Amino acid sequence: MEALLDYAWLVVMLPLAAAVLTAAFGRLMPLRGSEFGIALVGVAWILSALIAWQTFTSGTIDPVEHSLAWSPLGGGFVLEIGMLVDGLTSMMFLLVTTVSLLVHIYSREYMAHEPRFTYFFAMLGLFTFSMLVLVIANNTLQALIGWELVGLCSFLLIGFYWEEKSNQDAANKAFLVTKFGDVGLIVGVIVLSIPMFSIVEDGRAFNILALNEAAAAGEIANSSIVLGMLLIFLACVSKSGQMPLHVWLPDAMAGPTPVSALIHAATMVTAGVFLLARLYPVMAQSATVMMVIAVVGVITLFFGGLVALVQDDIKKVLAYSTVSQLGYMVAALGVGGYTAGIFHLFTHGFFKALLFLGSGSLIHAVHSNNMSDMGGMRKYMPHTFWTFIVGSLALAGFPMTAGFFSKDEILVSGQIWASNGFVTGDLVFWVGLAAAFVTTFYMARACFLIFAGEYRGGHDTHGDPDVKHQAAQAAGVDPEVVGHGEAEELAAVSAVGHDDHGHDDAHGHGGHHEPHESGPQMVVPLVILAVLSLLVGYIGSPVWTAENSFETWTATPILEEATYPFLDDGGDHGGDGEQALQGGGLLAAGPVLAAAEGELHPEVLHGPPSWHFDVLGLAMAAFLAALALAYLFYGRGRRDEDPTMQMGPFTRVLVAKYGLDTLGYKAIVVPVRDKLSGWATYTSNEVIDKTVAGTGLAVMRAATTTYHVVDQRVIDGGVNGAAFSAAWWSDRLKRLQSGDVQRYAGAIVAGTIVLVLAFAAAR
Amino acid sequence: MSPLGPLLLATLLFCVGVYGIIARRNAVLVLMSVELMLNAVNINLVAFQNLVWVGEEAVSGQMFALFIIAVAAAEVGVGLAIIFNMFRNRASVNVDDVDLMRW
Repeated sequence: MEALLDYAWLVVMLPLAAAVLTAAFGRLMPLRGSEFGIALVGVAWILSALIAWQTFTSGTIDPVEHSLAWSPLGGGFVLEIGMLVDGLTSMMFLLVTTVSLLVHIYSREYMAHEPRFTYFFAMLGLFTFSMLVLVIANNTLQALIGWELVGLCSFLLIGFYWEEKSNQDAANKAFLVTKFGDVGLIVGVIVLSIPMFSIVEDGRAFNILALNEAAAAGEIANSSIVLGMLLIFLACVSKSGQMPLHVWLPDAMAGPTPVSALIHAATMVTAGVFLLARLYPVMAQSATVMMVIAVVGVITLFFGGLVALVQDDIKKVLAYSTVSQLGYMVAALGVGGYTAGIFHLFTHGFFKALLFLGSGSLIHAVHSNNMSDMGGMRKYMPHTFWTFIVGSLALAGFPMTAGFFSKDEILVSGQIWASNGFVTGDLVFWVGLAAAFVTTFYMARACFLIFAGEYRGGHDTHGDPDVKHQAAQAAGVDPEVVGHGEAEELAAVSAVGHDDHGHDDAHGHGGHHEPHESGPQMVVPLVILAVLSLLVGYIGSPVWTAENSFETWTATPILEEATYPFLDDGGDHGGDGEQALQGGGLLAAGPVLAAAEGELHPEVLHGPPSWHFDVLGLAMAAFLAALALAYLFYGRGRRDEDPTMQMGPFTRVLVAKYGLDTLGYKAIVVPVRDKLSGWATYTSNEVIDKTVAGTGLAVMRAATTTYHVVDQRVIDGGVNGAAFSAAWWSDRLKRLQSGDVQRYAGAIVAGTIVLVLAFAAAR
Repeated sequence: MSPLGPLLLATLLFCVGVYGIIARRNAVLVLMSVELMLNAVNINLVAFQNLVWVGEEAVSGQMFALFIIAVAAAEVGVGLAIIFNMFRNRASVNVDDVDLMRW
């Protein structure tokens, strides 16, 4: 079994093989290429499961690292391509391959009527490969390659329905916004590698393990760490949808729903969180970095969640919920909750994938993204109903679901950080609690609107002027005044879901029909994910009393030793957690809150979780209050007087998404379009084109001159002159050959005489 | 005995031969002039024999002279044959008439 970890690269390569085979032969196959993806990702899933089992049962293991080194430039500059397998890697493997496999199966039915079915599956395989490349990377440059590849796949899949302009715009927006952060990643990676060149001996300056070790040993200057990690965090902000660069993520819902589940909920958007976790020993060196990360996370988790309150498009609700949950993860990492953050990543991957796939099932049945077109769906789609409810409960943190354990662990991490004397800890705790209320409320709202009441769909809502007008009014903007793109944008907020309409219309069903439950290929993944959403939380919960838990799984030897250097090192705090647990006294759904008030917790790992009834009580109170409020408003499934749309300026701010999109449109898109593109055109036409043309003209003239002067006169003249002179001379010299033998004889005699005289003179 | 007399005689003969080759138009006379020059050389060989060589090998100059006489005879045979053919073709033995090998 040990040797199994050496073959972890197979998990990465199998989806690539699937992508290549699908792209090459998919059209010829009976199942149009989906068999490659399902079979090979299935094998990859089995391998990942074995690897996960291996790493889980053996506790915190030394990472298995293999790499090929390449030194193209010499001089101690080494590039690597390699694998780093530890608990964190295998956890991500399990998450990515599980969700990817289920999405593959689900898409067979969901995408069945797509003309670009095979292309879609090839892209899914390529994305899975890219994500795994990022996860397995043993050096930051390889991680960067995977990072860019997932960005590319995301771009291609968001723009899957590229026939509609709005989808192209969404793809471009996602690509450009994340690309902005990618610049930070490149520069950050380089900044961190510079001190590493003098630390490592074999030139592997980008090696992640070496970087973590050097940082934990305090060998890297603080300035390098702060600059490098903040730049890398910028990449996380853009990729993991943190404010204010989250703007692309809701728009990314233009892609097919399975893509939203796989890429924009479960895996790709967590890449930033994963990267922070991977470099956690580096990040933990600087209080500044952790504070920035925590503050951004807190802002995101609260304000991202609020926007979900006013969305009508079910996918947008889930998208803003994803933004908010990613904020939780990032905030957790920023307040020292390493285990809590990636635990939430893990559980969120399952239940958010479940919610997206469930919403896909609804959209498939109703042919609309809008909750206002649903209602009463419990009757028509019982399986979708209960799985969606399970996912919502997990997201809202209902006790004993996966989201409950991970979210409460984040809150407790906030408490512990607060006891270290950081105000960000309190922020995470209280704002996190408030956002939990918001989360419960918007998920309850969505569930009531979708499943309770009567079915409101069945009529065509395309271009419904009332809804558009209402949306524009709510945003406080006159629809006539704003630009086209803006109006579309606003309309999409609460009116028509462009996203899945185009392809659903191709089904040929008319608008008037009763929705029906999806087929087994869509329901089975939902059920599996629902079961997982209930169960995966247990391995990190106080219920799980085995020696190996989520924390020992994902911890690394470096992290076990690591402490926060900016805290006073108490030296012997290490034993506190265990002692407290053995004492059996404190109970919390989170790590042990061990010692007395004011005592510091400089260790990165918090020890095994236990119950925390104070946190549990507050969280439950928030949950019940939100649920009750939501039932009061939406319990009968009504929507014509949606209270969240009637909160005056508050609603306007939320519908306008804090004006970030408008700001981006006015501050970036418009200037770029109107000014920058003009300058670019001017530069291109006037400066570059003219330079090129001028250069060409000058070269042409020089060539003409050369031709006339050098070629025609010097070279041709030389050649012709040689010929002419030869002819001229030969014409004269030939007369010596007179044919008169006696003249020759006379010449010989004369020559002899001359020679004799010459010799005589020379004597 | 001083070789001066024979050498003067040889020089005179050679000069007459050269003059004949350059100045005469009759091919037969040109051939005869060549013979004069050869014989001037023969006189030289014989005259220098006594002056240069002594003893056993003292006859080698005369031997060269005999060889040259033989070569001259052969040469006259070839030369007269050429002249004979020339006369048959052109009815003339004037060397000025034979100038086809010109530009």
